[in-house]
Amino acid sequence: MLSLSVNGQSYPVDVPDDMPLLWVLRDVIGLTGTKFGCGIAQCGACTVHVDGQAVRSCVLPVGSLGNKAITTIEAVGNTPSGQKIQQAWLDVDVVQCGYCQSGQIMSAAALLQRTPNPNDADIDAAMSGNICRCGTYVRIRAAIKQAATGRPELLQTIVSAPEGASS
Amino acid sequence: MIRFLIVVALLLLLGVGAYFYLNRTDVSDGTAPQVVGAPPSADVLARGEYLAKAADCTACHTLPGSAKAFAGGVPFKLPFGTIYSSNITADEATGIGSWSDDDFVRAVREGVRKDGKHLYPAFPYTSYTQLSRSDVLAIKAYLFSLPKAPQANKANDLSFPYNQRWAMGFWNAAFFKSQRFTPDPSQSPQWNSGKYLTIALGHCAECHTPRNLGFGLEHGNELAGEELQGWRAYNITSDPTHGIGAWSDSDIASYLTTGHADGRGSASGPMAEAVENSLRFLNSADAAALVTYLRTVPAHEGKDPITIDTEAAPVMASNQAAQGGDSANADNVGLHLFEGACASCHQWNGKGQQTPYASLLGTRGVNDVRGTNVTQILLHGSSLHAEGPNIFMPGFGDAYSNTEIAALTNYVIGHFGNKQGAVTPDDVAQRRKQL
Repeated sequence: MLSLSVNGQSYPVDVPDDMPLLWVLRDVIGLTGTKFGCGIAQCGACTVHVDGQAVRSCVLPVGSLGNKAITTIEAVGNTPSGQKIQQAWLDVDVVQCGYCQSGQIMSAAALLQRTPNPNDADIDAAMSGNICRCGTYVRIRAAIKQAATGRPELLQTIVSAPEGASS
Repeated sequence: MIRFLIVVALLLLLGVGAYFYLNRTDVSDGTAPQVVGAPPSADVLARGEYLAKAADCTACHTLPGSAKAFAGGVPFKLPFGTIYSSNITADEATGIGSWSDDDFVRAVREGVRKDGKHLYPAFPYTSYTQLSRSDVLAIKAYLFSLPKAPQANKANDLSFPYNQRWAMGFWNAAFFKSQRFTPDPSQSPQWNSGKYLTIALGHCAECHTPRNLGFGLEHGNELAGEELQGWRAYNITSDPTHGIGAWSDSDIASYLTTGHADGRGSASGPMAEAVENSLRFLNSADAAALVTYLRTVPAHEGKDPITIDTEAAPVMASNQAAQGGDSANADNVGLHLFEGACASCHQWNGKGQQTPYASLLGTRGVNDVRGTNVTQILLHGSSLHAEGPNIFMPGFGDAYSNTEIAALTNYVIGHFGNKQGAVTPDDVAQRRKQL
């Protein structure tokens, strides 16, 4: 029986050591915000944080984790960088279909955590392993910069209903 | 005229004499030094199983993924054509069920099959000739205890003159010596055991010893490294720079039995198979004996020697998540490919994440400017099923062009080995055809 620390909570799980973390998160613990994409660490959809680092959970055997702190999309909003990233994501309206976005947000939050003011090359290096088939890359880049600086990039999404509109 | 004919006849006689002299058979049974995992007191089937694993019969005689153990049919692409391994199950019609003990011992140690025809030295009788009769028969007993698998042997596809089996008699005369293992009394029992495991059972020399123009092993250059089937089998002599002289005992033992040694490398390709099918089953005493012997293999530089930079400057300038020390120009194709497809597991600082098997710094692959094994791994991927979780890297051969694979290989060599890679798209095209 392993004990995993996920989002600040301890989960005893009865799984084989070589089961990838993603399976444990989704099928055993029931945290389905993290997505399965390719299964071979090539698309980034399954990205979570282990001790603050972005890792691909689809190829990470749980047996090697010990009691390292695992953070998933469900709780990244509780971290300062995750909170900023998620707000910027909403303000710039990054998401199209959304399937890859929990992975994108996890990678972006890890980037902001270690590089508070990333330049384009930093963003490329951190985000190139996350694929988005809707092509939201331009907005992802803008949202990361906005999260870092607090200054608006691109046109901001209208978050409250315009004056006179019936709701 | 008569004098001329006499001379011809004498020369012929001399030639025939030399042929038979050079092909003489060592008729002794031979005695093996101790193999701790297969003591003489053990049950013959248990001994046979351990020895068959130490001799890695599976790698060549079982198709990967096939349920028919030892039914043969594994292809070997050689420069002169493709040959297929044979069915060595006890099936009478298609395997070796009708073979007597003597038939089997002769095939294993002399390279001559039951019908008297020569085997090709792709089957390492050149190494197995050193095995004791008792060990060979234990392996036979084990094979014969397994389910019979009726599966006809595939015909080899070799070009002339390599398809002439009789010609192997001349090859044997030149390059093969029938000879049992002779212990060196001046060395420890452990060393002798290690030599038997390395040279006879493990047949390490078949891949790791350079071959001459006639494809015979260069015995003066033992284990100095060779390229075979498109993969480089590295120099494993005691040379501290080009071999494994600088590795600790536990580095070597760990590499052999788990396929990975921190800061040294991870087994892939044919070596991953050797770990998976054979070496990981050695008990710790036998693995230690193997290490003891390897330690004493005379240092040689070998062909295209590799010098490892354990502190490659670009790696030192990087952290786990961001690269430093490389040009990040838009035209640096290799860097951008690495960024997108490789960095999330291998990391810019070469340490690897998810698994230590993904660490690259200090490995020979990334320090080989010809990029032989790096290209192979990029094209075909890598997998290793040893103890613990399965180690797996996808292949990128179908995703990337030859130009891209070459650029990526050269980038990896530059970043992790701090050397100018010399891989061209043509090299990649060649390596695509292998394996």
